[in-house]
Amino acid sequence: MLERILTDEFRNQLKATFMDIRETQEKKDENELAKDEERLRHKLIDSIEPYRSDVVFDTDYMVSAVDGSGSSELATLNDVRVHLLSTSTIVLGTNTKNGAPFMPMDRVTLEAALGRAQPYVNSYWHSGVRGDAREKMAETLEDIYPVSKIPDLILPFFRDTTNGQIQSIADLSNSRYSEHAAMLQTMESLIFYGQFLTNTHVHDELRKASEYAAARAVITSDIRPKYVLLDGAMSMFLHQVGQYPIMPTGFMLRELCSVARDKRVVLCAVSKSHTIPGADRIAELAEEVIGKSNKWFCFLPGQDDPGGGLHILEKRTYIPPPLAVPYLFSFSQDNRPSRIDFDRVWWLQDIFVAGDPKKTRQNEKALFRDIEFMSRDARWYGYPVALALAHEECKLSYEDLRLAKEIADDVLQELGMGIRRTVELREDYNL
Amino acid sequence: MTLDVKTLGDLYGKVAIGNQAMLGIMGNNRDISVGEIFMVYSQRDGHERVFFFRVSALQNYLRHVDDMARVAGTLMIEGDAYLSGIKRDMLLEVEGKMLGYAEMENGKYAFKSPRRLPDHLADVYRPVPGVSDKTVREMLSSQTGGEVLIGDLQVGEATLDVPVGIPAKFLPMHMGIYGSTGSGKSNLMMVMIKSILDSNLEGIRSPNEPRTRISAFCIDPHDEFAKGVTKFGIQNVVEAMDQDTRSAVIGDFYYLTTHLKATPREIQRYGREIRILWEEILPHDLYTIMDFTPQMVSFIDAQYAINKENWISAILDLTEDPDMVQKGTLNAVQRRLRFIERSPIFVRSGSSILDDVFVAMETGRVLVVNTSLMSDTEQFLLTTVVARSISDLRRAAKSSGTLGDFETQGQLRLPAPFFGRIKTKARSFYTKGGKSDDSGVRDPREMPVILVTVEEAPSILNPQLMQGQSVFKDISRQGRKFNIGLVVISQQVSVLDNVILSQMNTQVNLRLGNEHEIQACVDNASINISGMENEFRVMVKGDAILTASYRELPLPVHVPLFDTLFERDKGKYKPSKTARSSEKHTL
Repeated sequence: MLERILTDEFRNQLKATFMDIRETQEKKDENELAKDEERLRHKLIDSIEPYRSDVVFDTDYMVSAVDGSGSSELATLNDVRVHLLSTSTIVLGTNTKNGAPFMPMDRVTLEAALGRAQPYVNSYWHSGVRGDAREKMAETLEDIYPVSKIPDLILPFFRDTTNGQIQSIADLSNSRYSEHAAMLQTMESLIFYGQFLTNTHVHDELRKASEYAAARAVITSDIRPKYVLLDGAMSMFLHQVGQYPIMPTGFMLRELCSVARDKRVVLCAVSKSHTIPGADRIAELAEEVIGKSNKWFCFLPGQDDPGGGLHILEKRTYIPPPLAVPYLFSFSQDNRPSRIDFDRVWWLQDIFVAGDPKKTRQNEKALFRDIEFMSRDARWYGYPVALALAHEECKLSYEDLRLAKEIADDVLQELGMGIRRTVELREDYNL
Repeated sequence: MTLDVKTLGDLYGKVAIGNQAMLGIMGNNRDISVGEIFMVYSQRDGHERVFFFRVSALQNYLRHVDDMARVAGTLMIEGDAYLSGIKRDMLLEVEGKMLGYAEMENGKYAFKSPRRLPDHLADVYRPVPGVSDKTVREMLSSQTGGEVLIGDLQVGEATLDVPVGIPAKFLPMHMGIYGSTGSGKSNLMMVMIKSILDSNLEGIRSPNEPRTRISAFCIDPHDEFAKGVTKFGIQNVVEAMDQDTRSAVIGDFYYLTTHLKATPREIQRYGREIRILWEEILPHDLYTIMDFTPQMVSFIDAQYAINKENWISAILDLTEDPDMVQKGTLNAVQRRLRFIERSPIFVRSGSSILDDVFVAMETGRVLVVNTSLMSDTEQFLLTTVVARSISDLRRAAKSSGTLGDFETQGQLRLPAPFFGRIKTKARSFYTKGGKSDDSGVRDPREMPVILVTVEEAPSILNPQLMQGQSVFKDISRQGRKFNIGLVVISQQVSVLDNVILSQMNTQVNLRLGNEHEIQACVDNASINISGMENEFRVMVKGDAILTASYRELPLPVHVPLFDTLFERDKGKYKPSKTARSSEKHTL
């Protein structure tokens, strides 16, 4: 293959592809963004006034982060796949009084508070047999996420999306969701795409549920963090007709947001790789507005926000995600902008002040001031240190996975199931 | 598990990578230095072993950081950056050489070359002085024991109470001491002399225990050994002995000098003046220390054949070239011999010290030879005459079945007047029992080991002189048979002759001057110490790497100060009260 990749022909093919993107998509985006340029410059982008390095808070607080990793191929026994899932919960204290900011909580205290080892690793199996697949996935999700009663799981979504009009299962029958009530009975029925579940899809859902479960554990623990950060976006895909989450993890996210609000925890999701169009141009605008070396954020409004949504996002209905508020930010000139999502219900309560954009901006600046302060670790400058540490702890390297597979082989041998080795079949043929 | 791992020291880290030659360890962020020795506890396949590992390189390691330079750069550029909880992630990547391993065999530790590898992620211990000494001593006993102390086992900048010595039986296999000016050669020599005296004293006090007596003819080019470099010297050891002990250990004298009157009074009491008669010098002695053309050698040999032991006087008294001798040869030879004529120690007539030196060497005594007022040539000739005379006597003994044979051999090999004076003494030393000509002769290996130091060795042990008829070439090759060992002392290794270097089976490598000499040391060590170049570079005064062909392990050693040892041991030179009262009771 390399001889083909190294040819001029391949370069020319790529050139044609990129030119095509520029002509058909980027120019369109640039045109759309140009319509929002003035608004972005004067209303949506703003600078962050960072804390001094030697700041001492009146009250130091805790910041937590959760990240997960996994493999859908720990072992394959006929058509049954064994998934390996890992999560890591990190808790750091701002610790400004001792002059050593963001000191990790010691592992013994952390594990005692969370009730499980850190990082945490577990395995689940999943069958591809039609019918069984959905049932097994539902069983696994119930095992992973600690809220098993369906009303407790689904009501937070309906409460948030109807501004509190739906407070009970009984309320659902009198709402626009009544015709979908049958689909909202069990964990299994919440899985809308049961018959199309691919292995990757199943794994992503299990992983997401694991991360939400870990986040819920730290939010409800005695640690009482001020912030809990998730890796990713607060994306939630809704049933086109029913307008409710098509997978249980959507409900779990809203349940998590609801618990966070109850516990006065700021829940946010940070994604380095995001799909915000025109982000680089927004970064250029930020540089023009507030200078190259400054730290900045940019609010990405939705249709319901004052001034409405951005033109460039009009046809991208997944931005902002339902019940979420996204921002772009950059804390260093060396970093491309990242995205951070907040729970919209919390945002409306704690950040947004109706009719007072100045006060709203003050709240936003205070919020990003904290987030910037927690993103100054020299190893991952500009990215929240707690998330970086959580990522480092949970990630499964190739070597980790290889060892896990070897151990799985050993266990199979012990159980007398050793003929079905966990190594990939292609290795039998040296492929 | 039979070993209490707590006695190995502090748990320091884990074995990460490596093979049977080199290991990589991930350890705590401690103040480790190149040269430190760690111990790796392994239990692979039920075999309990302790591997020894010597640090050759260190690198800071930050967990979660692949690019340290980038982090440092960020800390510089982003002035508000911090490192969250970084202490926990700060580790040291330690790289080093596997030295070998100790394993219990028949209730005793055996030390073996690194043919095996420690277990996966085995625990690594850092020896702690006061905690690990006994265990290390036991495990390395086969590698460290010996009557002649060199120093204490060094673990980085500290030392353990693990004395490292050279066994007397290996001394005749010759020894090289290499170190630049200020590396601690004089102190090392004093420490060695003291331990030879101690060993001989031990032998005298325990006559029923087999113990080899050691003699040493120690050149002292700066007249430091007797008086000491700082506070104490060998004279203090002598004075610390009671009369009987002194008489048994050092006899009537231990100090030789050119001008006895210029010596402090207290040392004078144990001193003798160095005088060697011209008749005791053989042509070979001169060929050993200076260049002669073939014409000169031929002329000298001819004069020796005619005049025997009077050959020097004969040549110096000649006024013109004899017949058949190329013109100018006489003058050239006379010029070369002129230093003998001018020397206060090489004398035409009178009494010689050589007889006393011979007796001292055959009775297990140490002589400190002050050569500070001699020229280099005088010093070299003195060393050569002494070494050759003793060697020829032992050679005569070795090649004789009876005392009668020995006398015949001695007359053939040695200048007649000298042999005539000492033959009675020699017969008494070498006899297996009895005085008659039929009496058997002892094997020299049953006699005291004789050490002869060669100072400023490159001047006489260089390739050019060694091509000729050097006395030292013979001794280096055959000394083992005669129980005579050379101690070659040099600031440089690279300029020494390969024959000499290859015969040195023990090397004490002190701090060296430059990379070239370090490489020469590494290349000429009796065991493979490649990869230890970094440790040579960080040595301080008194640090040494001891290598020996009869040992598996290159030993890092720190030579203790003579003063410290003397302070510690000065009480032991007088018989204990128990011993004295016991003697009294017997009487």
